[in-house]
Amino acid sequence: MLDRFNSNSSKPNAVRILAIVFFATALLFALIGTVMGDSFYIRLATEALIFGGLALSVDLLLGHVGLLPLGQALFFGLGAYVSAVVLKEWAASFWLAIIVSMLFCAFAGLIGGLIAIRSKGVYFALISFGLAQVFSRVIYNTRELGASDGMTGVPVVTVVPGLQTDNPLGFFFVTWLVIGGLYLVLRYVMQTPMGRLFGAIRVNEHRVCFLGFGALRFKITAFVAAAVVAGLSGALYPMLRGFVSPELMFFQVSGNAVVNVIIGGSGTLIGALYGAGLLTVLKSILGSFTVHHHIVIGLLFVVVVIAFPRGIVGYLVPVLEARLSKKKTGDNS
Amino acid sequence: MIQTPLQDTVLSVKGLSVSFGALKAVHDLTFDAQRGQVTAIIGPNGAGKSTAFNLISGAITPKFGQVKFEGQIVTGFSPDKMLAVGLSRSFQITNLFFDLSVHENLRLAGQYLERGRGWWSPVQKSQTALARADELLSQFGLISKANDLAGHLSHGEQRRLEIAVALASKPSMILLDEPTQGMSHADTQETAELIRRLASEFGLSVLLVEHDVDLVMRVSDHVVVMAQGMKIADGSPQEVRANPDVQTAYFGDKH
Repeated sequence: MLDRFNSNSSKPNAVRILAIVFFATALLFALIGTVMGDSFYIRLATEALIFGGLALSVDLLLGHVGLLPLGQALFFGLGAYVSAVVLKEWAASFWLAIIVSMLFCAFAGLIGGLIAIRSKGVYFALISFGLAQVFSRVIYNTRELGASDGMTGVPVVTVVPGLQTDNPLGFFFVTWLVIGGLYLVLRYVMQTPMGRLFGAIRVNEHRVCFLGFGALRFKITAFVAAAVVAGLSGALYPMLRGFVSPELMFFQVSGNAVVNVIIGGSGTLIGALYGAGLLTVLKSILGSFTVHHHIVIGLLFVVVVIAFPRGIVGYLVPVLEARLSKKKTGDNS
Repeated sequence: MIQTPLQDTVLSVKGLSVSFGALKAVHDLTFDAQRGQVTAIIGPNGAGKSTAFNLISGAITPKFGQVKFEGQIVTGFSPDKMLAVGLSRSFQITNLFFDLSVHENLRLAGQYLERGRGWWSPVQKSQTALARADELLSQFGLISKANDLAGHLSHGEQRRLEIAVALASKPSMILLDEPTQGMSHADTQETAELIRRLASEFGLSVLLVEHDVDLVMRVSDHVVVMAQGMKIADGSPQEVRANPDVQTAYFGDKH
């Protein structure tokens, strides 16, 4: 029987194990925090997952369609602001905030996509960077949205009866489920004909058109999907922190998301989460020792890019696979 | 229906012209291709064959002229629209998904047959595309290579895969751009047979651009000769060979 997928049939298993390890570790982290009675670690784990969602959206574009978004924080920040505005001004409803943020980001993604997607390579990266720059400056100077101070006093809301966003462990679970769900949905999409076309565009966009598919249409679809994923993650941010600020859209956030994906391993999805988890936690630990934690992060980035060009997950998958197949043949003999 | 091959025009090119700056790359090119036949465009280097090919396949939009396929005007159609009307092409410089397996290359191309149906279920369930990929693997002798990366195939195998990928959508006509480019003698023989098979066995109309004159004379039903962007002769291989203009422009510098 032919292997239907690609040359590595055991690859999904290795990735699955890494995914289970990631989400289990996140749970463990939060539970240890609870046992220690310190909500700091639970909130840190929640934040790591939220930035993991942003990294997932970057990996969808960078690792699967081959587009480098240098301004993905635009949609993350947009989701956060829309969520904050809905909660403060409209109705203190978790679900309404989530849904409105996603719709808003889908629309913004469509507009942004139509502007940026025709350009390739470095031009796409710069246009996406420019769009985020322009938009963050607009927010920065809009008094109604709190200008440079951002918006504070986002109310505590009920997610499901008995569970409010100010319950650290409870909100951690909500975030864990949302990001876990996002991961599973994206993983599924990548196994469909649509997801495979994304991959084909990354490998050889030119030929895709000659297979009868308008590559542009699929690239815009991916861009909108990535905007929604980033927006949904962003929508959770004000619920965790109680405030939003224009910094959420700054290049720092976009750049970090790209670094997360590259350190974790682009094109793997779970790598984006590993990268975000690792760097968010590392930054927090280093931050308690020194204000120059960016030096360490920068060095780490350089080391990973040189030593593990495919990122942590990109390095671990073949190693794990070799182990698994060894075990398998060992069992058979 | 009684076949009248000489009158069953599938592709009709009329007055096709394009210039790059002052260079008239293709000037007033007119010819017809018949259904189920192999039509070839030949000419010395720089004659404009590849440009003509790109104009017909929609890669370049012509300045003047018309391309008619199955009675429909398709001039300047985008590549994906061209495929939708049944006109597919291969590439002179192998243009595959090198990082993907041979099977995945064919499955992706076969995906077109599903026309977006079942796109929300995993690819393992897309029977049409999978069946098409398997069919092409066996027709093109690539079964043993199914799980290899396309980039790891030999040059000859890549050229074969290139044609298989172009056929996956079941087009009614295929345009082959120098299919024997850089091939060994044995591989060229094999490709010649394959081109004949495309017409006889698969019932396809074939338009071939090729610099290997011997191959063209062997496999073609109809030959269009170009020189300096213009058509200088047009006819059966025997007619073209006997044409004095062709002798001077083409065979002249060969012998």
